[in-house]
Amino acid sequence: MRRVLPAFVAFVLALAPFAVRGGAQGRRTGTIRGRVDLRRLPPPAEPRPNVADLGAATLTLDLSDRLKSVVYLESAPRGAFETVETTHAIMDQRGERFVPHVLAITTGTIVDFPNSDQIYHNVFSLSKTRPFDLGRYAAGRSKPIRFDKPGIVRVFCDIHSHMNAFILVFSHPFFSLTDADGRYRIDNVPPGTYSVVAWNEGRASDPRTVTVTDSGVEEEDFTLR
Amino acid sequence: MNSFLRAALTLALALGGSVSAGAQLLPAAIPSEPVALAGGRVTISGDVSGGFAPDDTGFFNYTDYDHSALRLFRVDLSSQFTLNRHVAMLAEIRDENLDELRAYAFYLRIRPWADHAFDVQVGRVPPTFGAFARRTYASDNPLIGYPLAYQYLTSLRPDSLPWNADELLRMRTRGWLSAFSIGNTTPENGVPLVTAFRWDTGVQMHAVSGIFDGTVAVTTGTVSNPRLTDDNSAPQVAGRLSARPVTGLVLGVSAARGPFVSSTAARGAVGDGHDHSFTQTALGADLEYSRDYYLLRAETIWSEWKLPGVGAPVIREPLRALSTSIEGRYKIYPGVYVAARVDHLGFSDLAGSSGVQSWEAPLSRIEIGGGYSLQRNLLLKVSVQHNTRDGGRVTQATLPAIQLVYWF
Repeated sequence: MRRVLPAFVAFVLALAPFAVRGGAQGRRTGTIRGRVDLRRLPPPAEPRPNVADLGAATLTLDLSDRLKSVVYLESAPRGAFETVETTHAIMDQRGERFVPHVLAITTGTIVDFPNSDQIYHNVFSLSKTRPFDLGRYAAGRSKPIRFDKPGIVRVFCDIHSHMNAFILVFSHPFFSLTDADGRYRIDNVPPGTYSVVAWNEGRASDPRTVTVTDSGVEEEDFTLR
Repeated sequence: MNSFLRAALTLALALGGSVSAGAQLLPAAIPSEPVALAGGRVTISGDVSGGFAPDDTGFFNYTDYDHSALRLFRVDLSSQFTLNRHVAMLAEIRDENLDELRAYAFYLRIRPWADHAFDVQVGRVPPTFGAFARRTYASDNPLIGYPLAYQYLTSLRPDSLPWNADELLRMRTRGWLSAFSIGNTTPENGVPLVTAFRWDTGVQMHAVSGIFDGTVAVTTGTVSNPRLTDDNSAPQVAGRLSARPVTGLVLGVSAARGPFVSSTAARGAVGDGHDHSFTQTALGADLEYSRDYYLLRAETIWSEWKLPGVGAPVIREPLRALSTSIEGRYKIYPGVYVAARVDHLGFSDLAGSSGVQSWEAPLSRIEIGGGYSLQRNLLLKVSVQHNTRDGGRVTQATLPAIQLVYWF
């Protein structure tokens, strides 16, 4: 994992804005779809044993968010950045969890971090892509962060060590979050040959070469061990 | 090279040399999350800290275990075995400066009604009294030193009693190695007002209702001398009530009372059947407020020890101490904070042959420092502490310190 992550970031940063073997704009586009099979289920982040607490914490863990993977093109067709829109995404803090646990966005996106719990949270990240610390704020309040650099941002809560999330920032729109069954679909891909990668909880697959034709639908399944 | 320095060096070498914020510095084999086994029924977490500071010749920072809090290599392993929704077993083992391993906590947590925040804890349980004692982990402490009330050693000992006031006054500032003529005459360390370094043994009940959080406990020792087994004829009763009127504000009050002097020492002073009379009574009030990037904590503790009056000049009045501590932390950048603590510890007067003076030397401490997160669970702290004391061979000490903290 440690070797794959920097490679991912370097690829996206260095190559993403340029066509590698992609097709030209103005032509009909195709779709890449398939399924990501997780052979080893990612464990939920267990809270640390609260030995020093005077009573038990009331916390429910949810594994479903961790089953979601991200499939993305390692390089993007030329022209993928001609339209840059500032969009908003939400990463909620609810039940001492980040919801969603994985967020995939394009550069320029503003992510709002509302606090829906009745207790304080303190969202922060030390990731080089976008270090930030939102401080402590109470229920009903929200703070925004704009992500301008592509890369992986690990998000934590400074108060609740079991709270963590991922934000994957892409410099192109050719990515997809899988559904609960692991299915994904990347639409509007210009014809061309691409490297496609599947990612889950810090694990990334080896890149697969996929050739997209006019109006074609390419199937590509991944297995993450 | 002494053991703590060796241990700190080992830790430093293990962690490697890079200091880039946000980078993954620790080898992949070292966990960054709690270790979960048996489908999450068993969780194990750890805290490792190594500190370095110059010699503390005035013994301002010495702790229960004859170690300086500033020069400590500490490894904590905590575990929780959740049997079902009602029962869990929690334990913590601790090693300081690579000495013998100690069971710091070991207790059963029972939640009779799964949907109600009411817990019964039996065994070596977390401290009921005060606020700081439950957050002594290096990752929870924004500075390297400890509040005086929880760490500074007075000359009082539960197993050794002064014959008269003069003998007690002769031991002023000697809490790191105190000895009296009644009971155990071997020199050993005295006790702080409330120790942050040992937990007591007994039964604890805790409930949460709305904004209120209440705890009562019956244990074998006292707040300054927690014990695994009782050494006198009566237990300590302690209670704490806290409230969270608004998010970010915690107000707490605590009280504890129990026999402090051991049966053996009491028998040596006044004969059998009186050990329950020589009590420690402690009252505490604490406040925590946090918002945005700052955190403010204040705590005051009043403690009173009743000792037997034996020889003249007699110790007639209970010995009292009052501590006040205010601490603040401010985050100035992601992963970087500054912190400060101001602390004072005062003592009541005692009449000896040569006049009246406080039974221990009052002292103050200012500690200023900060922390830099090399990565989320790897923290480098630096601080400078200035101690002033109205008595003893060393009356002032300025101690810089550095500490590396890793947790999972």
